[in-house]
Amino acid sequence: MKKQNTTSKITRKEAIKKMGKYAALTAVGTFVILNPLSAQSSSAPDPGGNPFG
Amino acid sequence: MENNLAPTYQYLFGEHWVLWYSTSNSYSIVEPSFKTILNYYLQSETIECFATKVSNDDKTIDTKAISITIANYLNSCNEYVNSIAHKNLEIDFTHRRILKQYAIKDKIIQIYFDSELVLKTIHPALAHCLIEPNDNAQITFDIYLKNEQLYLFKDEKIISCVPKRDYHLIQGKFIMQLLCSIHNKEENDWIGTFHGSTITNGSKSILFVGESGKGKSTLCALLCANGFELLADDVSPMLSKNKNIYFNPSAISIKQGAFNVLQPIIPNFDNLPIVQFNKTKGLIKYLPCRSPKKDNYKCATIILVNYENKSETILKTVSVKTLLERLIIDSWISPDISNAKQFLDWLGTIKIYELTYSDTKSVTQKITEIFK
Repeated sequence: MKKQNTTSKITRKEAIKKMGKYAALTAVGTFVILNPLSAQSSSAPDPGGNPFG
Repeated sequence: MENNLAPTYQYLFGEHWVLWYSTSNSYSIVEPSFKTILNYYLQSETIECFATKVSNDDKTIDTKAISITIANYLNSCNEYVNSIAHKNLEIDFTHRRILKQYAIKDKIIQIYFDSELVLKTIHPALAHCLIEPNDNAQITFDIYLKNEQLYLFKDEKIISCVPKRDYHLIQGKFIMQLLCSIHNKEENDWIGTFHGSTITNGSKSILFVGESGKGKSTLCALLCANGFELLADDVSPMLSKNKNIYFNPSAISIKQGAFNVLQPIIPNFDNLPIVQFNKTKGLIKYLPCRSPKKDNYKCATIILVNYENKSETILKTVSVKTLLERLIIDSWISPDISNAKQFLDWLGTIKIYELTYSDTKSVTQKITEIFK
């Protein structure tokens, strides 16, 4: 988990959007925010390569 | 303060609170100490009232800084995500160049593809269900590439349209719609489609999850060769009403890195067709399995899979937090409020393990023990 004062390198919005996960250590304990995929997806986009180049 | 940003549901699992926010469909896992402060914040009518409550517990806390932390936390948890609607997109029938029909459960499904390239994204996993075309199809899909976008239609209505690089979203949406058709359900009937593979022993099932490339599908192929049955590979759908995982007809996809592990174990492995997506990347084989006797099974166990070369077979219990940090970000989970409640209720009933393995015989034995 990241300390709150190091998250300036990536904003909360960017973290959640890119990774679906944002975690922080605060003075009163830790939290993590997890976002499920917004649409159904098959496995990781590159199991054997992108067929469309 | 800001009660409109409060979590919709709050569940305590062991040492962690799991909070669900309906505005954003976000799940948040917090420590009890954080939850206490969050509660003070939501219950207090003013900042002064909040500061008093916090100071009563711990005079050293910087209440102003904490109130900002909590406010930012609540905003992050409630960031609304717009869903994309495609209501006005009309189907283009000129792209109906290749027709394939499949028999799945009691349904005949037909798919029109516009090219071999598009066909390669969907057909190989269902090739074992292929039948000679006839006039009896009950459901029709159209999938085509047009203007660098991939389109998916079901019975001539638009389901999804994505840039071609996001073809995995078309695959996912197609599987969802296929599952709805074969099980006679609507999208809103599902708790979610978990990114994982599910195996059954004929009376109950185990869901295997984990990062891509950690051995889920390989393990399932091994288990299927040792008497277990595949319920779902890669996309495991859970129905809200009964919290059971349902049959997904797709064959197990096996990456080239697992060929040498499975070749000695799977009968006729060398004759399975190879699918090449891209010349510079690896190859894939699809392993169809015998359909299980029922089309849905209760799932009371989840295993996080980790293949590690030369490791012993190690099984250990892990927390709901460890599970959710893997499961949620990789899976589609329904934003519907009653489905979210079903999901959270189910999490309280299951056993969760992490499995590290390298030896195929030993891991099969371990899974057999878990089923018992």
